[in-house]
Amino acid sequence: MLLQSMINGLFFGAIYAVMGIGFSLVWGVMKIINVAHGSFIMIGAYITYELFQRFGVDPFLSLPVTMTFMFFLGFVIQKYLLNRIVRGSIFITLTFTFGLQILLANVCLLIWKADFRSIRVPYARLGVEIGPVVMPSVRLGIFIAAMVLTFLFYLFLRKTKTGVAINATALNFEGAKTVGVDVMQIYAITYGVGAALAAAAGSLLIPVMSVNPFLGAQLVQRVFIVSVLGGLGSPLGALLGGLLLGLVETTSTVFISSSYQELVGFAVFLLVLIFRPQGLTGKRFF
Amino acid sequence: MSTVILEGKKVSKKFGALKAVWRVDFQVRQGEILGIIGPNGAGKTTLLSMINGTETLSEGEIFFKREKISGLKPFRIAEKGISRTFQVVKPFPGMTLLENVAIGALFGKDKIGNAKIAQEKTREILDRVNLGGKADVAVENLNISERKRLELARALAMDPELILMDEVMAGLNRAELDLIMELIQNLNKEGRTIVLIEHVMRAIMGVSQRIIVIHHGKKIAEGTPEEIKNNDDVISAYLGARYAKMRGRNAEG
Amino acid sequence: MKRRILLLAIVLIVFMMLPFFLSGFWIRLLTHTLMFCALASSLNIMAGFTGYAPFGNMLFFGVGSYSSALLMNYLGLPFFLTLPLAGLTAVLFSIFFGTMFLRLRGQYFALATTGAAEAMRHVVSNLDFAGGGQGMTVPYLQGSPAFINIYFYFVMLGMVIVVTSFVWWMSKSRLGYAFKAIRADEEAAGVMGIDTTRYKIIAWSFSALFTGMVGAVYAYWFSYIDPPTVFDIMWTVRMFVINLIGGIGTVFGPIIGAFLIETLSELVWSKFLYLHMGVLGVLIILVVMFMPDGIIRLVQKRKDALMPILQKMNILNDQREKR
Repeated sequence: MLLQSMINGLFFGAIYAVMGIGFSLVWGVMKIINVAHGSFIMIGAYITYELFQRFGVDPFLSLPVTMTFMFFLGFVIQKYLLNRIVRGSIFITLTFTFGLQILLANVCLLIWKADFRSIRVPYARLGVEIGPVVMPSVRLGIFIAAMVLTFLFYLFLRKTKTGVAINATALNFEGAKTVGVDVMQIYAITYGVGAALAAAAGSLLIPVMSVNPFLGAQLVQRVFIVSVLGGLGSPLGALLGGLLLGLVETTSTVFISSSYQELVGFAVFLLVLIFRPQGLTGKRFF
Repeated sequence: MSTVILEGKKVSKKFGALKAVWRVDFQVRQGEILGIIGPNGAGKTTLLSMINGTETLSEGEIFFKREKISGLKPFRIAEKGISRTFQVVKPFPGMTLLENVAIGALFGKDKIGNAKIAQEKTREILDRVNLGGKADVAVENLNISERKRLELARALAMDPELILMDEVMAGLNRAELDLIMELIQNLNKEGRTIVLIEHVMRAIMGVSQRIIVIHHGKKIAEGTPEEIKNNDDVISAYLGARYAKMRGRNAEG
Repeated sequence: MKRRILLLAIVLIVFMMLPFFLSGFWIRLLTHTLMFCALASSLNIMAGFTGYAPFGNMLFFGVGSYSSALLMNYLGLPFFLTLPLAGLTAVLFSIFFGTMFLRLRGQYFALATTGAAEAMRHVVSNLDFAGGGQGMTVPYLQGSPAFINIYFYFVMLGMVIVVTSFVWWMSKSRLGYAFKAIRADEEAAGVMGIDTTRYKIIAWSFSALFTGMVGAVYAYWFSYIDPPTVFDIMWTVRMFVINLIGGIGTVFGPIIGAFLIETLSELVWSKFLYLHMGVLGVLIILVVMFMPDGIIRLVQKRKDALMPILQKMNILNDQREKR
């Protein structure tokens, strides 16, 4: 029973991780706490939902679509709006993304109404059994997809020219400018990548969770906890944080009633804040 | 000899593997003016920051009036009567000159409870540093000389027994320099102890009673200005070992 | 200065006479607006003066309303007694969460408070004696509709007077200096002797106190509260928009902002119920990008720019002398 919980926890944790690395990236590079990140996840989920309902597209196959769409949306938002205020105080950018989040939630409300939407893939019943543990095909697929995405993201950051430029800009804005990096463009790309990753998380989420216009606000809580847990600004930290949170949340249901599951996340958050605010990867960001 | 008011033992600060300050011992006597000099990047500001609590110590201890202050938060150290100026003057934005300095009066050693009384005391201090007429000016509109005096005024408003000054003289012209030097000497005559970091040699040699030289984070020399001027290690640190040797040979020959 | 006090006194008298000349609808609308004046001002104490933005401040609104409701239902206490008690309960919560969250920087604080509010909402939804997810009713004021309208109008007006007076006093006091210094440069504030954590907690406590009290009034006014309503983030959103537009860190900014927003709300948004959130979102974005200092400072800047010109024209000479 416990083992099953732990496996479930890892599966959920993988999604949390994908949700978190985009958020951590944006914070690490631009010092923006993107409250709208939750809405990006939500939009990704809605798009996958539509593709499935209307054209029967499998959620995993919808990933390229949602990611590309959100990349461009994020890119445009950063380039024409956020870039004007990005060098300002953190409070200003935080309030901006806060407003953005509300706006996007309203847009989704208008299009999809307040109902809870979910999808059911035809192969949902299939699964793999290893010993006492059951791994449903969907969750297994989500886990693998999440891990692959994280790995690809890591490669992108380390091995591609753009990724290196992003790193450079994050470490030293003036320095990067001096060596010829178009920093504003890099910012736009970074935000786009963050949004794309969020959308991916949403697409991976909808086969197992229903979406509604208020999901964004709820998810950003989780995302924040994951990032703080792992160390704000560190994508690796977000990965670890996500897995850890997933584990803790699901295994706790073995011991306490599930209606308190959300509070577990918050309790973890409080503990981290009190005892190790810099998170697992340890950089002091406060 | 008067008592030791500030003492540091094996004071060290590491940033990762970089030893910014390493095993520096120092003693400051009550009522004296101690100068700290050394080439750029030697660790002088870090040392000062460790005294007022802005930086934590990696190793060692600092005592103020026999009480250990290393490890305390900056505001606690400020309350004990130590104030400090910063190399890059960052006044509180959005507030007037008067308000900026009044904060020192309100929250420094004396912790004045009433805002009006604090403001009056602040005006007196502003007059002392020749900024009396600009009390209601927004700090963004001050020039460099005024800003340096603002820093001094802020530190002074806290009624400190010990003032740490970090390059107050940088960027000032001759007349402004003389003004600041006179101010520092007046403060010292009042009984305040002063530790200052400076690059303007004429100035720091002129006001200090004793000097410490820091190089690569370590104390390499200590003594009166005269002694320091002729110290080979010091000359070596600033101008290179070959020059020091050459000078030595010339002196003999 | 004296001119200002005279002006304020006149405005106050007008407000005190208004309800006797208006219909119930307008009185209720004004009461609603006054409620947001008080709420926004309470938020301003923290966000405007210390620069720390508690996005989860509705936490105290909920705590205050539930405290009052519980005290009235289970202990039969009269409303005026529950008012300060609700405020104090909110203060206790602010100290509890404050000691944990205020050691960190502003952006952490902002999001951490939303987590706290969400958690509270969740906890209260699971408390059976508080009605759980269904909420609870509050014993209501006996009397004619006209009486009730006027009663709550004056209670809210009283709250606005109390909060505004506090903010006015605070902005000139030693406390205000500490808060402003923290907002300007927290590290430098520490070096000058300010125990920043302590003062941040004090600021948040006052914010919580007044927010909690308004929550209690709300509970009594509407006679029914439930977790999704009183812990709704939209309360904080409105408080923020009002502060942004009016001017964060000013004394009267929240009041002007509240009247502006509520008027707009009444005229425009109530026609488009489903656009409500979206319009607020767009408003936040626009204000943050083009007018982050708010209206009061915008007017102040224009005045400061005009001053030398008007002086030359000898128009405002007497005002300078009085200073």
